[in-house]
Amino acid sequence: MEEFVGAIWHRMVTRQSATDYADARVELADLLPQLAPFYRGLGGEPGKLLEAAEPRPFRAPRKLIQRIAGTHRRHTVGWQDERSLRLPPAIALFPERDLNESLYLWLVAMAAKLPTIRHWFRDNQSACRALLDARPGLARRYHEMVEVALVLRPGQDQLQDDAWTREQTIRRALLEPGSAERLPRAPGDAWPVPFWLYPEPMHGLSVTACEIEDEHHDTQSAPPETVDSARRTARRLDDSKETDGFLIFQLESLFSRVEQVELDRCQEENLDDDLGAAEDLDIITLSRQRRAGSARVRFDLDLPAPHNDDLALGEGIRLPEWDYRRQSLKPDYCLLQPMLTDDAEPAPLPEALRPAARSLRNRFGCLRPERNWLRRQWQGDELDLDAWLDRLTDEQHSNEPGACYRQRRPNQRDLSCLLLADLSMSTECGINEDQRVIDVIRDSVTLFAEALSGSRDRFALYGFSSIKHKQVRYHLLKNFNEPYGDAVRGRLQRIKPGFYTRMGAAIRQSTVILEQEKTAQRLLLIISDGKPNDIDHYEGRYGIEDTRHAIQQARAKGVQPFCITIDEEGSDYLPYLFGDKGYALVSDIDRLPMLLPRLYLNLTGAC
Amino acid sequence: MNKSMNANIRYLPQANEVDLFHHAAAVKLPVLLKGPTGCGKTRFVQYMAEQLNRPLITIACHDDLTAADLVGRHLIGADGTYWQDGPLTRAVREGAICYLDEVVEARKDTTVVLHPLSDHRRELPIDRTGELLKAHPDFMLVISYNPGYQNLMKGLKPSTRQRFVGLSFDYPTPEREVVILCQEAGIDKQTATQLVALGNDLRRLKDQDLEEVASTRLLIYCALMICSGIAVRDACRACLAEPLTDDSETLAAIDRLISSYF
Repeated sequence: MEEFVGAIWHRMVTRQSATDYADARVELADLLPQLAPFYRGLGGEPGKLLEAAEPRPFRAPRKLIQRIAGTHRRHTVGWQDERSLRLPPAIALFPERDLNESLYLWLVAMAAKLPTIRHWFRDNQSACRALLDARPGLARRYHEMVEVALVLRPGQDQLQDDAWTREQTIRRALLEPGSAERLPRAPGDAWPVPFWLYPEPMHGLSVTACEIEDEHHDTQSAPPETVDSARRTARRLDDSKETDGFLIFQLESLFSRVEQVELDRCQEENLDDDLGAAEDLDIITLSRQRRAGSARVRFDLDLPAPHNDDLALGEGIRLPEWDYRRQSLKPDYCLLQPMLTDDAEPAPLPEALRPAARSLRNRFGCLRPERNWLRRQWQGDELDLDAWLDRLTDEQHSNEPGACYRQRRPNQRDLSCLLLADLSMSTECGINEDQRVIDVIRDSVTLFAEALSGSRDRFALYGFSSIKHKQVRYHLLKNFNEPYGDAVRGRLQRIKPGFYTRMGAAIRQSTVILEQEKTAQRLLLIISDGKPNDIDHYEGRYGIEDTRHAIQQARAKGVQPFCITIDEEGSDYLPYLFGDKGYALVSDIDRLPMLLPRLYLNLTGAC
Repeated sequence: MNKSMNANIRYLPQANEVDLFHHAAAVKLPVLLKGPTGCGKTRFVQYMAEQLNRPLITIACHDDLTAADLVGRHLIGADGTYWQDGPLTRAVREGAICYLDEVVEARKDTTVVLHPLSDHRRELPIDRTGELLKAHPDFMLVISYNPGYQNLMKGLKPSTRQRFVGLSFDYPTPEREVVILCQEAGIDKQTATQLVALGNDLRRLKDQDLEEVASTRLLIYCALMICSGIAVRDACRACLAEPLTDDSETLAAIDRLISSYF
């Protein structure tokens, strides 16, 4: 009963204290596809992502009604770090929609102008000034917005002397950027300025993940629901004390603890409410211990036992890795291990795939790429005027046409293709009751191989997955010179999900293999299901920059990379990696097996 | 294929390309111009032809271009057959500059015709007539192409490339581009500066959002439209946004960039 009344009171008082214009609300998600190119066009860094920010606490003076309601304690402001630019997830500050949209554009423009903030008050003003001078259209919008915003800010009636002086300085700085040099001190924080960028939020003690000792993976899967798209501030708790938790007991007393004890829990555990609790927390504390509390005995879950694993071929190949922060290559950083499933039995094509394989093989068998005119033929569709003129002007010509026709004929195709499949752990997840992603990938690779075996094109099939930089597993499924047959089919049937996705190293090795091919066109097709990531620092921007470096090196050597992904968020990072026309997003995963050969035909110029 | 001798060609040098070309002409070496589309290569060749006071013969290369199209063929006239020189042979005979534009579009077996002309021999063997034509001292061979990603597969054979003096072209610096816009289209400096800044914004979107970027030529078109009387925003949209992309979100983003200036 009290909860019911409390809820009503909460709703009423929050509505009273709200200063948002809910009708004119603009969501970041709707505007994001336009904002990202806008950001890049203004000079923003191409590799940065645009994401939603989370609210941060401000100790700003509030109205009485706001204090009663308990609102306006946290505000969302724009900020950026080297990984991404964070913007408010929704803006409803102004009564008109297009003013709210203009605020998003303004923040993005500021972010492009001001990548790092050293002095909040001065840097924001100078960036503001530069933007107003260079872009008159933007300047007009800015002045419109500031006029409305100043009315909404706290006035003299709300603020004491020091706070009011500070507020006046901020107002002056907004109207005339560059005019105010110093921000006067006053207790608490100033009311947040929506037009300026803020520094990164403060972090607690940061304990970096230790790379030297072996960590095992967290075998629990991530919670299925995330709170929202905002990234939360994380703080690592240093709880590495080893003595916690071990139950010191005597072995003989083990049996006496076996009986089940019924504990009467007076409070029902409501899992749905936990998500709400997460939203209220400003800082979510992470423990460095990855294990679940109960399991304290270490199993080596990293690699399968050697006799269960594939055969490792050779000592491994050392490959470099690109560190974008230092803008240099780390030589010999990764160890790529070629592997072969040597105990795979030769197997025929699975029944389910046979009809599709047959039709694909027929289709690829009569490929008609760039038709070329063959001149001076004895028969053909059209007259070859040049040849005919030659005959006529030749002194000893006869009156028959002779070899004066020209005919279209398919050119000799001169290309080779390496298909690189991402076999990481994420492919283990299921699409529906009887199919996992790995099954779809296996079928796609098999059908692709069937199709290409019908044409005369050279192709090779490889898979990869990685565990940190010391083990980038590179599975040989079929190399270029091996004929396609049941042996390869058997290996394809044994594809299983692996570990993580250190894409840069795999691309570099594939480039080396493709360089050996002497054909005119060399295609590197990558099937991926997510971003490059590995359990050390290889994730986020680092992973993307290293992959991009590998791709550019491949291009410089004359290899054409192309990515086919089933990751729905692929269009966030794939244009940066492969270029606008260098990737394809397959949203319906079960269509991938049939789409893959068709994409290949498009890429190689056949109709 | 046309032959033209224009007076008063305008060209604003970017670096030392005029000097290099003069010297190459003096020592009778062929020249290769590389650069994106619409950055001034053709205009440069026209300018140099005027400076050196030689006629200019331009050939736009394409996939169906044959050796006979370049060298010449026998034709049948009222009095019987006669030999007709192709544009290349005319240039060699008369001492003109022969400019092959977008040479990578032609098939490789066509471009090998250029080999005897581009080394020290400077002669053109005409098989049909049996003539071995020695080049006029004023003859000069100039070829150009766009080394973009799309043309990776179509490039020149190394044996062809190695016979030329290479010059790289790119879009002009912002200051120069403003001058070019004012001269070519006749708009005021303020608008020209804004247009050039907008063009450079769009060039930052290369490869990620746009396949091709706004060339100087597109900016000149836009300026011409503005001078003719169209509202600035509409001219920008029609000349800079629509030709470059079909994706609606990218068009919306380019619209925002345009309205940040005008």
